[in-house]
Amino acid sequence: MLTKLLKHEFRATARIMGPLYLVLLAVALGFNFSARLMDTSNVVLNILAALVILAYVAAIIGVFIVAFILMLQRFYKNLLGDEGYIMFTLPASVHQHVWSKLIVSAVWFIATGVVVILSAFVAAFNVSFLTDLAGIFPKLFQQLNAYYAVNGTAFLMEFMVLMLAACMSFSLQFYAALAVGHSFANHKMAMSVVFFFVFQFVMQMASGILLISLDNGVVQRLLASMDFHFTGVAAMHVAMLGMIVLTVLYGAVFYIVTTITLKKRLNLE
Amino acid sequence: MAVLECKDLTKHYGSAPALTHVNLTIEPGRIVGLLGPNGSGKTTLIKLANGLLTPSEGEVLVCDMVPGKESHACVSYLPERTCIPTWMSVKQLLDFYGDFYRDFNRKAAEEMLQHLNIRLTQRIKQMSKGNREKVQLIMVMSRAAKLYLLDEPIGGVDPATRDYILSTIITNYNPEAAVIISTHLIADVEKVLDEVIFINQGQVVLQSSVDEIREEKGMSVDALFREVFKC
Repeated sequence: MLTKLLKHEFRATARIMGPLYLVLLAVALGFNFSARLMDTSNVVLNILAALVILAYVAAIIGVFIVAFILMLQRFYKNLLGDEGYIMFTLPASVHQHVWSKLIVSAVWFIATGVVVILSAFVAAFNVSFLTDLAGIFPKLFQQLNAYYAVNGTAFLMEFMVLMLAACMSFSLQFYAALAVGHSFANHKMAMSVVFFFVFQFVMQMASGILLISLDNGVVQRLLASMDFHFTGVAAMHVAMLGMIVLTVLYGAVFYIVTTITLKKRLNLE
Repeated sequence: MAVLECKDLTKHYGSAPALTHVNLTIEPGRIVGLLGPNGSGKTTLIKLANGLLTPSEGEVLVCDMVPGKESHACVSYLPERTCIPTWMSVKQLLDFYGDFYRDFNRKAAEEMLQHLNIRLTQRIKQMSKGNREKVQLIMVMSRAAKLYLLDEPIGGVDPATRDYILSTIITNYNPEAAVIISTHLIADVEKVLDEVIFINQGQVVLQSSVDEIREEKGMSVDALFREVFKC
């Protein structure tokens, strides 16, 4: 059932994201031509080129904003709006609904990142000063790997996992706020906004308390007694893994809030 | 086996009661009218049976199951409002129903759509309100479900369409299934009903077969309704 939900969720979102990616790539191509024109001394051409460059920057910001809005809109319109009557009477569980939304928005966030990078290659293709600039990155990476051995790649992997977990937790915080806000009879959207900030506040308090408790004598003595001998690099790995675990926990709290609210307190208009 | 059973079913919205201690049983093979004035609890009852609301007290069982993933597979539900995704084309909607419901008969749906001159390439967004309602009803009635819950199926359409909708309901449902039609337009649905449930202020006032009403009370359901709910 989850695969069917995913299929239809992709169908509903690809019709928006697909054309948008094409627009971005087209603007990137325009950017490429303009960057070459900028070498000339014609003022009109230079102004035109500057405008295309602005358009490219706007398009990059635009795709990220649309991916974000789509994540929100698919959740509240498809599940909490009129379409909810159809969705919640399908032979699928609340968990499957939330996962389908979550997976699809995470995929779009990642795809947006990939397409933006791809568009940067299109934009920089064969433009002398930009290719020089781009040439720095592989060298930087080589240096990293030479210095830290496989750790460079490992860090990159850890960073990717962290980004994925962060995307999902970020979406879940919005889902939880929307689900709780829409369980009220009136002012559903306003309540959702209020709950978003309430959740933000509660989570900040909780992480603050966590930090303070780490400074507690017992924990310190415990850590000291365990007698860790980390090298700098290993400590970095531990820190990354710790951050991943915390991010997943952060998302898990909101996952539980979202699913319980949708099960017990669903209140479609 | 009853397809729908309510045991002491109660639902409040905050402190306002919407249904109070409702007990009823619906057997397969019946077309039942759920009749009552506006705000009497008809929609609440149907939403509870669909798991769109959770009971405050008591329980509701659909095909012997608490509403959820499994019960949804045997219930075909027409909500009171049109809520099929408007960005879809009719063909995409057929794919959607075909993917999610094993009992969906695509061929039957396509025939009905053709009969109403609705093209498969047409988008729901471009249709009139009446046509959207018809498309949604066709999707709902093209399933071979055990229980059909139709919330105000004839509310917003003209009398000719009303007749078409009612004949669609009668010709498409299978004899092992039960159909529950909630409405306040009694005169129009009376001729198709086997049984009626009168509901008022969240309570069942009467559950009886239409023949009994005609024989014992000597009046039509419409006339009885006007008498019971006289303002």
